[in-house]
Amino acid sequence: MQSIHRQTVIGLAALLVSAIIILIVIPTWVSSPSNVRNIVLSPVFWPYILSGMTVLIGLGLVVTGFYSSENLTHEPNDIPGGYRRLALMGAIMVITMFALPRLGMVWTSMLIFVATAALIRSSHPKTALICAVLVPLALYAFFAHVASVAIPQGDYVRLP
Amino acid sequence: MNFLDNIAAGLSLVGNLEAFAALFLGVLIGTIAGAIPGMSATMAVALTLPFTFSMEAITAILLLLGVYKGGIFGGSIPAILIKTPGTPASSATVLDGYPMAEKGQAGKALGMALWASCTADLISNLALILFAGWLASFALNFGPPEFFTLILFSLTIIAGVSGNSLLRGALSAMLGLLLATVGLDLVYGTNRFTFGDPNLMGGLNFIAVLIGLFAIPEVLSMVWEPKPHVGKTRSLGKNSVTFAEYRRCFKSIVRGSFIGVFLGSIPGIGAAPAAFLSYSEARRKSPVKENFGKGELEGVAASEAGNNGVAGATLIPLLALGIPGDVITAIIIGAFMVHGLQPGPMMFILNVDIIYGLFIGLIVSSVFLLMIGSVAIRGFKYVADIPRGVLFPGVLVLCIYGVFAVNNNIFDVGVMFVMGWVGFVMLRNDIPAAPFLIAFILGPLLENNFRQAMLMSGNSPDILFRGPITWFFWALTLLTMVAIVRAGIRATKDLKKKNI
Repeated sequence: MQSIHRQTVIGLAALLVSAIIILIVIPTWVSSPSNVRNIVLSPVFWPYILSGMTVLIGLGLVVTGFYSSENLTHEPNDIPGGYRRLALMGAIMVITMFALPRLGMVWTSMLIFVATAALIRSSHPKTALICAVLVPLALYAFFAHVASVAIPQGDYVRLP
Repeated sequence: MNFLDNIAAGLSLVGNLEAFAALFLGVLIGTIAGAIPGMSATMAVALTLPFTFSMEAITAILLLLGVYKGGIFGGSIPAILIKTPGTPASSATVLDGYPMAEKGQAGKALGMALWASCTADLISNLALILFAGWLASFALNFGPPEFFTLILFSLTIIAGVSGNSLLRGALSAMLGLLLATVGLDLVYGTNRFTFGDPNLMGGLNFIAVLIGLFAIPEVLSMVWEPKPHVGKTRSLGKNSVTFAEYRRCFKSIVRGSFIGVFLGSIPGIGAAPAAFLSYSEARRKSPVKENFGKGELEGVAASEAGNNGVAGATLIPLLALGIPGDVITAIIIGAFMVHGLQPGPMMFILNVDIIYGLFIGLIVSSVFLLMIGSVAIRGFKYVADIPRGVLFPGVLVLCIYGVFAVNNNIFDVGVMFVMGWVGFVMLRNDIPAAPFLIAFILGPLLENNFRQAMLMSGNSPDILFRGPITWFFWALTLLTMVAIVRAGIRATKDLKKKNI
């Protein structure tokens, strides 16, 4: 029998997060006016109550975790390299945030489409490439010309 | 206004081509999306929502309701043909649907699924029309203390019934409530968790959180394990369902519909338990119960009636009380808000035309479902063949456009990505996302009503116990809590025994 289970780890994570919220985040990032007469009307009351409840739930998870039969680790992935692919996907998302205002939404979306299709090893690369061009263009046409949304155009190539 | 006046007002609102076209399109999109393995009705409604911003409120909501109804039925197609339920609600359909497909009777199973779905849908819609108005007129007596206790009860039940672990459901709900406190304080206007960023002053965008929680984790799961969908698509066969077979299963369909209506009108329970309960009841009452699980037509009828019976009924708490019955109605409540409408009892006074317009649209949607469903059954092969390596990058791009379109703000796209990772971690650890989203929506309402009640009473908590309605909801909350804790203790004891 293993000594630590996933339920326990989730409970410990909940305890850690709520401790950080109670001890650091609420005192620093929730402002309360000095003239609040009763604590129940204070802007800090609700966050403290919710964090306190999270502590209780975290404790419950830790306690019940001792009796859990659930493994801490997941079943091994059939296709190796999952963490590497996830890290790359994270990088794609970060780059997207930087590229959106500079390249524009349409061109960035085309690149994201191709990158994601490559990452998930699309078995239809030609179809993926065609869709990578057509899908962002079709969405641009709808949102910009039908829904009148100001889709970011970027600094280089602008669409009508 | 009397009932006929209300119907006339509703008809004047939806009696046009645009509204019916939106409904038709919605059912079509929902059926296709529900039938695609890897997509779900929730994801389909979430991804359709941004396309409705430029529409009239009634047209937008009809489109989304169409997607919801189509999605629930669409999920049964892959459940029967490739043993992969398109939506969790169709899991019970697999039990008899797939064995029928193996015997070469897929056409019959799908035909029965369609007829049972449409019948249950109609019954559910009629229940909505009958009960929503009555419940709303009762809820007009509610003040902030009553709403506070009602929302508290809803949250308890939602956290308790979702997923395998009630503590994880409760944790998910708590995180949703905490996230809902981000932004300016509603009474004093001071900053809460804004970290000095003006983008956070209005709180986190609901659609960014929603799409982040329900669509991005699916993309990340595909990245984690890029597998094509498995399972051989069975052919439809030459046999279709006959009227005699429909008549034989009619009792189970009606029973399943009522089970769906009852469970659907309780916030948080959802379609999957209704489908399984309806299936087990049909099996218990059947003279050929040994055939269940081996390809019994009545099993397909009962499970489909159970899950479709929920669809209209979940709108009862939504329209009458402003409380979402499940995660899809939580998205639809967001659509109401985007269009400046607040579901709840006051809507039956201020926007009665929209309410009755929706009722009319829902009835018509059952007819559209029948029409589109019969075509979709034949066209499934093409839908199932959409390569996942093209589908998921497309979903990602769609998410980016959709989330940006809400406020024309790139910051929301970042919120969606972050919530996507949160959702993925939750998914990997079996922490249900539905309580998170529902709590995120109900959080501000819960806090607002609590603080209003405190202001009304001069900070005396006695107001939260001021009358029979508040006592009723406190009692229900207590009962639910006791039931949940007992179930938790029993489950822990069972595990303890197993480990010894």
